[in-house]
Amino acid sequence: MSRTPPLLTAEVLTESHWIAATELCRLCRLDLAAVAELAELGVLSPREARAAEWQFPVTVLPRLRIVSRLMRDLGVNVSGAALALELLELQRALERRLRALERLLADEG
Amino acid sequence: MEFRDYYKVLGVERSATAEQIKSAWRRLARKYHPDVSKEKDAEARFKEMQEAYEVLRDPEKRAAYDQLGSQWKSGEQFRPPPDWGSGFEFRGGRGGPEARGARRAGEAADGGFEEGGFSDFFASLFGGGSPFAARGARGGRDHHARIDISLEAAFHGTTTLLELKSPELKADGTLELRTHTVRVTIPAGVTEGQLIRLAGQGEAAPEGGSAGDLYLETHILPDPRYQLDGRDVTTTLPVAPWEAALGTSVTVPTLGGPVEMRIAPGAQSGSMLRLRGRGLPGQPPGDQYVQLKVVLPPASTPEARALYEQMRSTLDFDPRAERKGNRT
Repeated sequence: MSRTPPLLTAEVLTESHWIAATELCRLCRLDLAAVAELAELGVLSPREARAAEWQFPVTVLPRLRIVSRLMRDLGVNVSGAALALELLELQRALERRLRALERLLADEG
Repeated sequence: MEFRDYYKVLGVERSATAEQIKSAWRRLARKYHPDVSKEKDAEARFKEMQEAYEVLRDPEKRAAYDQLGSQWKSGEQFRPPPDWGSGFEFRGGRGGPEARGARRAGEAADGGFEEGGFSDFFASLFGGGSPFAARGARGGRDHHARIDISLEAAFHGTTTLLELKSPELKADGTLELRTHTVRVTIPAGVTEGQLIRLAGQGEAAPEGGSAGDLYLETHILPDPRYQLDGRDVTTTLPVAPWEAALGTSVTVPTLGGPVEMRIAPGAQSGSMLRLRGRGLPGQPPGDQYVQLKVVLPPASTPEARALYEQMRSTLDFDPRAERKGNRT
């Protein structure tokens, strides 16, 4: 007999969900110094001036997890990972535009 | 379960030094890292490499693995020998980088590369030192996974089945992956890279603590008709030359169903028209952009040829008028 699996409520996290720097560190496995450096590099824009009270929109999490993985798996430092992240994002944006243009060309051809 | 040749995975000799192993790992990690790599099977390869490196970088695990002998071939059916592991003490802790127990299945492909953990082969040999062994002190860890959603489902909202795997440590120290399925209602209007939290669906808590949460990062699957950018969608609409030139009203597909759209006279191929609020729902909702593509009727009948010839002789039109430098 198969039972209907339980129904869970998904909570969609948006820009208006703010989390403390320490929570962010835990979720993306970075230390506070790395988060501070990312803020200094402009990858993150914290709310509040003092590092101990920083808050971030939870939506930065996917980007920070990429930074964290690049640092851990490839041995790059914070600024190297931040640079790679920005180049990856640029690459994705360009690929999207390229696909759109290719589609238009293919349709015309 | 199938035997895994960790040396072959990293492309090193069985006699390789720790330095050679590290260097092979670094080279391969750079090539197959799923955040960076464009290789088709990057995710699977990377997981395999992580597992191999996890064993070969650790002198104790490597020595134990070497004891299995070199006669095994990748993919061969394997069962750990009865005296397996005697004399070794696998100190876990580090585990696989980010390897976790949650994995989604259901209507779409497997989830993010961080999930899924190591193979049964690994777990049977190094169960206690597996990626699942290290727990937080206070409660269960949070899990992270990716969920693939079609654009239609993102627009309308959907209820999807998630298969969650959680490792359980058995009495003999080996691991068993328990699977349980849950249904999750994804509300309308999620977009690419959105975070969804399922409270309490992460790692089960050690006694007295609270279970971790499961974070899902949405990935919207490519759609043949629409391109997605944030909450905006773009679609291409073929039109006849006279429709573009004279203006008309056409039926345009949108995610919410077909709508009538007016094309003003004088439109060109490539012109972008906007249908406000017809993208993904949200605050504010996205827009739908319609890119016109003028399609020429073929001059395949005498009548069509006559019309083209009439245009040629009647219209004073030079499509290359702006490129004065190119004219001969």
